[in-house]
Amino acid sequence: MAVLADQDRFDIWAEVMRYKDFVSASGVTKADLRAAVNALDDFLNTNASATNTAIPQPARANLSTPVKALLLMHIIQKRYLKGV
Amino acid sequence: MATRGTWDAFSLQITGLATFPEIKPVNADIMIAAFDAAADELCHLSGVAPQGLTGTLTLEVFGWMLSATTGTIGLRAEVEAVTPGDSLNRGTTHSFDSINYATSATVPGTAGFEFQTTITLTNNDSIAAGDDFIIRFGRDADGTGTTDSATADFHLSKIELRDAA
Repeated sequence: MAVLADQDRFDIWAEVMRYKDFVSASGVTKADLRAAVNALDDFLNTNASATNTAIPQPARANLSTPVKALLLMHIIQKRYLKGV
Repeated sequence: MATRGTWDAFSLQITGLATFPEIKPVNADIMIAAFDAAADELCHLSGVAPQGLTGTLTLEVFGWMLSATTGTIGLRAEVEAVTPGDSLNRGTTHSFDSINYATSATVPGTAGFEFQTTITLTNNDSIAAGDDFIIRFGRDADGTGTTDSATADFHLSKIELRDAA
């Protein structure tokens, strides 16, 4: 999978700026935030294979990519978004 | 200088515009227009140019940032002034003058603190007393004519039109 299209990255950037909590500790500019979106997408792209490999069998082979992404989303949510 | 008009969030016209600010209350009961950080959102201020209007016109813009504490915002305004008898089909056509951009304003270091910034209406479509006018106002979120680097919404509270009288 390639990195997200520029419009997709723009849409994420535009959407997150609408949430006060997201930038409530803002010492960042719009350019800083866009750079963060790009960098995280780049990182996920670079490390997609390693992330998949971290999933033990038989889940790795039998879960679809969208389901694995959903799993990852839930873990990130529980780790970092409690109380937000 | 003299005040020649004031507008609050309720008096902004947004109907019919492709991208427009959200008009909503904050702090329970203060109505604001929330201008997005990613796309230029526009609204109309309209009126009849008052008798005695003279000299350089400015828009004084009052508002605050939703959450940003660093960076700058840019604002824009363009004027359409129509004198009765002008050859302009108002039912189908606009004739806005070129866009005026404010000098990019540094946002306060604390979110929610009010600040004021000025747009000088150098391009004013030769507005004169008695003209039926529209000022199309918005945030230059895409940075076409200014540096707009602050994240999240700009909350517009009031706008004042001043002249040199």
